[in-house]
Amino acid sequence: MPTGTSMVEKGEPDIAPELWSNSLKEAVEKGVAEKRLRVAGKSLSDGGEEGFWVPQYMVDKDPSLATIDGVRAKAKMFKHPEDPDKSGFYTCPAGWNCQISAGNLFKALKLADDGFELVDPGSGAGLSGAIAKAFAREEPWFGYYWAPTAVLGKYKMVKVDFGSGADKAEYMNCTSKADCENPKVTMYPPSLVETVTTESFAARAPKAYAYLTKRAFKNAQMNELLAWMEDNQADGNIVMEHFLKNYSSTWTPWVSADVAAKVEKALAGL
Amino acid sequence: MATESWLTKFPEMERASLVAIRKGLDGAYRDFSRSWGESIEAVFDPLLMFLVWLEKLLITSPWWLVLAAIVVLVYAASRSWKLSLGVVVAFLLIGYFGMWENTMRTMSIITVCTLLSIALGVPIGIVMARSDRARSIITPILDIMQTMPAFVYLIPVVMLLGIGKVPGVIAVVIYAIPPVIRLTNLGIRLVDKEVLEAAAAYGATPWQRLAGVQLPLAMPTIMAGINQTIMMALSMVVIASMIGVKGLGQPVLKSITNQYFTMGLFNGLAIVALAITFDRVSQAYARRTQRHLKGREDA
Repeated sequence: MPTGTSMVEKGEPDIAPELWSNSLKEAVEKGVAEKRLRVAGKSLSDGGEEGFWVPQYMVDKDPSLATIDGVRAKAKMFKHPEDPDKSGFYTCPAGWNCQISAGNLFKALKLADDGFELVDPGSGAGLSGAIAKAFAREEPWFGYYWAPTAVLGKYKMVKVDFGSGADKAEYMNCTSKADCENPKVTMYPPSLVETVTTESFAARAPKAYAYLTKRAFKNAQMNELLAWMEDNQADGNIVMEHFLKNYSSTWTPWVSADVAAKVEKALAGL
Repeated sequence: MATESWLTKFPEMERASLVAIRKGLDGAYRDFSRSWGESIEAVFDPLLMFLVWLEKLLITSPWWLVLAAIVVLVYAASRSWKLSLGVVVAFLLIGYFGMWENTMRTMSIITVCTLLSIALGVPIGIVMARSDRARSIITPILDIMQTMPAFVYLIPVVMLLGIGKVPGVIAVVIYAIPPVIRLTNLGIRLVDKEVLEAAAAYGATPWQRLAGVQLPLAMPTIMAGINQTIMMALSMVVIASMIGVKGLGQPVLKSITNQYFTMGLFNGLAIVALAITFDRVSQAYARRTQRHLKGREDA
């Protein structure tokens, strides 16, 4: 949110390469209408994937845990970190937009009746730390997460099926809103993840802007790259080299032929 | 890369070696966490039970009862009408602005953290004051505790103990304990050597010298240390909330994420009010005990 606000008000940064626009819908639409922002296209072509997840090792032992009814029946397994009588559902950190939707779905699924309580991890780092701890000890874990991320690339989890399908209208009108009175059960529809630039950038760098309109990653690929980064302790520069060298079929269509040739030549020199 | 020489670019370690070191350490820590994690968690369980109990007590008790108890404690410690009135007004405002429950949560965990810091810090400070060797070992450790970014040691703690109150207490104590240790050490070392000699001449044992001479004379400095510890404990409230500790830190985090300036300001002011209350009460209590020891007539 700070990025979006800064781009609209101050015109910087020039590019937001991965903006989860659903959380900022009104601000982005207003920015585009006021000719301050331009939406270049989708940076994640499948859209972001959100949901409630359980670890793969749990589903391997008990396939019923892949459905919400199975999780409900075995609620006692998912211990609350501080209250021994309750079960813990790790929700989105305070202040994040997904806290609203996760809380509404918690209400809709009536998980409180099965003894679940919302555990607020406090921050993204807290949430991933809790997942890491559960995986290190092969403990049960149930909570909200999203893809594509390094965490889901590294720690294999299974999305719990609510059995309701994804109702996009319900999600947009009620589930994602804080004042939703009667949230209904729905799976998360794919989240819009876009490349957004300022109007001034689009005007002064049309070629770069054209590249941004074509660049898009599929979630499976992104998860793969993030998991590779994690395994190799790589930072952005290193995974960039890895990506450019090994995934040329993906990025060559994004640029014109002469640019592609230049990049290949530079890679050969590395 | 072939055209760079050490004249222009710092000769770095081979990337592969750096990666190997990082992976090695991460893997070793993961194995450690796997084998020892449960036993370490069990060690902290009594602390966790106590924290949960205290928090529940403060939240479920009627607010006027808790406020009355606080005011009684404040008056008993300070014997000052002005301070007690100030505390009442501050807490009434906090409750009126809807921050009562969060303030109770923060108060319960910070009280435990402060008491732990003092209980652990003063003895360590005394040890440091008596032995130069101990001081040379402990001082760098204190430097690390104060400057290492909290998340660096929080990540392994969360991996070991999960999110929640216990990692929060660990984080706050690590950050807040150095002032009381350093200033206890300083205060005791600054006690006049001649006074100590006089006490020895009267036949005081080392323990009597410590309890009867050094500690009372070092008290102003030690109280300064305790004051700083309280302030630093409360300043860690927001970082603790980043690993799931409920209280005033969470609304502040929310306000950062969503850019709600006023909500952050109000909750921040509640944290300040708590800090000033804790501090004035402890200072007033210390001044009263010192006056008694120094034998002044005006109370």
